[in-house]
Amino acid sequence: MSITGVNDNQASGSGEVESHRIDADDDVAMKPERPASPPPIPGPSKTSSSDGTPAYKTRFMLSGHSRSISSIKFSADGGMLATAAADKTVKLWSTETGEILKTLEGHTEGISDVAWSPDGEYLASASDDKTIRIWSLEMMETVVVLQGHTNFVFCINFSPKSNLLVSGGFDETVRIWDVARGRTLKTLPAHSDPVTAVTFNHDGTLIASCAMDGLIRIWDAESGQCLKTLADDDNPICSHIKFTPNSRFILASTQDSTIRLWNTQTSRCVKTYTGHTNRTYCLFADFAPGAKHIVSGSEDTRIYVWDLQTRKIVQVLEGHRDAVIAVASHPTRRMLASASMEKDMTIRLWVDANSPP
Amino acid sequence: MNGVLSDPFTISYPTAVQTSLNSGASFAKFDPSGSYVAGGRPDGSAVVWDLDTKAPIRWLEGHVKAVTSVDWSRNSRYLLTSSKDWNVIIWDLASDTDPVRRRATIRFDAPVVSASFHPRNSQIVVVLLSPGDAYLVDLRKQYRSRVELCEIQEESEDEGQGSRARSTMTVVRFDPTGRYIFAGTSAGSNIVFNTRTKTMIARHKISGAGIIRGLDFAKGGRRLVTNSSDRVLRQFNLPIYMSSTAEGEYIEQELEPTYRFNDPINKNAWHAMAYSPDGEWLAGGAADNASHKIYIWDLANEGQFATALDGGPEPLLHVHWHPKKASIVSTTNVGNILVWHCPTPERWGAFAGGFEEVDENVEYEEREDEFDIEDESEIALRKQKAEDEEVDIDGLVEDQSSKPADLTQRVADDDEDIVWAIEESDDDHPGWRMKVVVEDDVDGL
Repeated sequence: MSITGVNDNQASGSGEVESHRIDADDDVAMKPERPASPPPIPGPSKTSSSDGTPAYKTRFMLSGHSRSISSIKFSADGGMLATAAADKTVKLWSTETGEILKTLEGHTEGISDVAWSPDGEYLASASDDKTIRIWSLEMMETVVVLQGHTNFVFCINFSPKSNLLVSGGFDETVRIWDVARGRTLKTLPAHSDPVTAVTFNHDGTLIASCAMDGLIRIWDAESGQCLKTLADDDNPICSHIKFTPNSRFILASTQDSTIRLWNTQTSRCVKTYTGHTNRTYCLFADFAPGAKHIVSGSEDTRIYVWDLQTRKIVQVLEGHRDAVIAVASHPTRRMLASASMEKDMTIRLWVDANSPP
Repeated sequence: MNGVLSDPFTISYPTAVQTSLNSGASFAKFDPSGSYVAGGRPDGSAVVWDLDTKAPIRWLEGHVKAVTSVDWSRNSRYLLTSSKDWNVIIWDLASDTDPVRRRATIRFDAPVVSASFHPRNSQIVVVLLSPGDAYLVDLRKQYRSRVELCEIQEESEDEGQGSRARSTMTVVRFDPTGRYIFAGTSAGSNIVFNTRTKTMIARHKISGAGIIRGLDFAKGGRRLVTNSSDRVLRQFNLPIYMSSTAEGEYIEQELEPTYRFNDPINKNAWHAMAYSPDGEWLAGGAADNASHKIYIWDLANEGQFATALDGGPEPLLHVHWHPKKASIVSTTNVGNILVWHCPTPERWGAFAGGFEEVDENVEYEEREDEFDIEDESEIALRKQKAEDEEVDIDGLVEDQSSKPADLTQRVADDDEDIVWAIEESDDDHPGWRMKVVVEDDVDGL
């Protein structure tokens, strides 16, 4: 499952390819040939909701990574994009111009996840070399290396105050770190399989984790005690979780090609989103800008956008030539970012043509 | 937030020490958010601890003699330290620089006993100097001033008054609204000043109290507890003061305590006391030089003694209650800050999905249709229907813990005392962030 397995061939570290801007109208040049015609996609008009259906179009196509991209995240102010890849590097891109701003090197194995600190000071990266590196965005260098995981580190996130970091990995634990001192504060024996996602809620009092054991657990951030476990009947591998902005729900992607919205208080699944393909990789899902839609990558090379309430697919974004592992939503503007695997290795930035000015 | 998920049945005072912070401090106070603790040290420095990481995050070094008090501004951005070296320093924690930038240094001509911020504007500070005089310092450009708060002495009619001499102030602080300044005196009375006019508006004699040693308010500001040299803590309900009285006019009123708390066995004096955030509990730190004891009284239950927390052999110097939670910090005389919390037992049932622990056996009643075989498509349809219900992912659930905090803010905004206080506001906005400073020498500790 690891997209950054240690035994993979070392890809030759090809030189950085200049990112190049693609004109949004110049669609022909970048649209890959599709082997089969895609299944019918519901027309946008049919499902248009009160706030208008999104119509995301490619604004930039960026390349630079030499191996599969595993994670993509917008900075808190939306000005930058960070990508992590199996090529052991983290790259920072400008969301305005699409240029590479910086390549961060230091990890000795592939990187599975990257996270911005909410205060805009730091970036963290989780690697198969069992460490987490914290990079100062001011100095653009590693300021702390967090050591403690006994196997690949797969997922990370900062607390809202940026003083804590939570990580999960193939050693099946969740660790809470003191960012300033680079030490483990707590190790939670969280799961019985690799931990695939871990995150704080909006006020930092809860931590949620999910794993290949198919369980989603909610923890008290202060005491480290398990508060509850959300589980479906047939325990499909859970790929990714994310709290809603108000922390009342958790958006969970599972490898039965389904995304579910769980009510954390009643432990009930309140929404189910289907149509995409997710059977092999840990795909990211997110709330699209405006918090009215859900967005996720898919192993069929497309990106799906659902209406949060009606659960209908409102747009399918095409363009990538391999499974789309990572998607991310811009914090303020109607913009999405997506990244694809080995056969493609490009990053696309999508802007909603229907967005209000 | 997690209150919603955790057990609703919780006792609301702490019961056990969670951590001990070795800080060299002689007293420690939570910030208004409850995320940090500031401790003042006898060597003149102060230290800010992050309670999430249980690590010191800022060292404030500006005094050359013992720090006598610390106070946090309402959104925790500014921290004030007062010292025996005649200075009060206001630190700006939003500054990235190390050492932390000072916003102001206020110099006096005597050792400073205590200083505190106005609850609505950190540019207004009330200060008590060692001989027993109080000053209101206004740092705002428009009002820049330093005014001594003077007690109006009764005109001595008989010789008994004359011999009593001038009483000195022993403790001075704002009430939670900031409209009034309360001062305790060596003559066993509480004097109330209007903050804006700086005039005395009331004097409350407390018979038998002796010297007033400390004051604390319940959150709304309607109840006051005093500590005095007769080793009794007294709680009072405060009268409502007229917003404007004529010059020189004041209320002379003796207050009758609603409760008296003392230690009938050891006859201990008290170093400090603190209300719980909901005002239903009172904690008293016993001045016992062989043990570390915090007494808790249940105010909702006629002031009954609830428990005595035992913090070990290091004598207690100070206690402060968390602004939102059942947590206390108490400081020992060797400089350890004990953080008390209310431990919740691990609920192992939480590890299993859809499993609920019960305290007692419950007779299970089977529903009539519980084991009926239902058509799968029907189940799916029902699920579909249920999923049509709208969900609100943006709106925040009302946080119970933030409610009591608002009480103090709910004073009419057309109140001229409040309007005066919030003029020329400080930059203490709720959105500021304490920058995370990565330790250079991570291993060096």
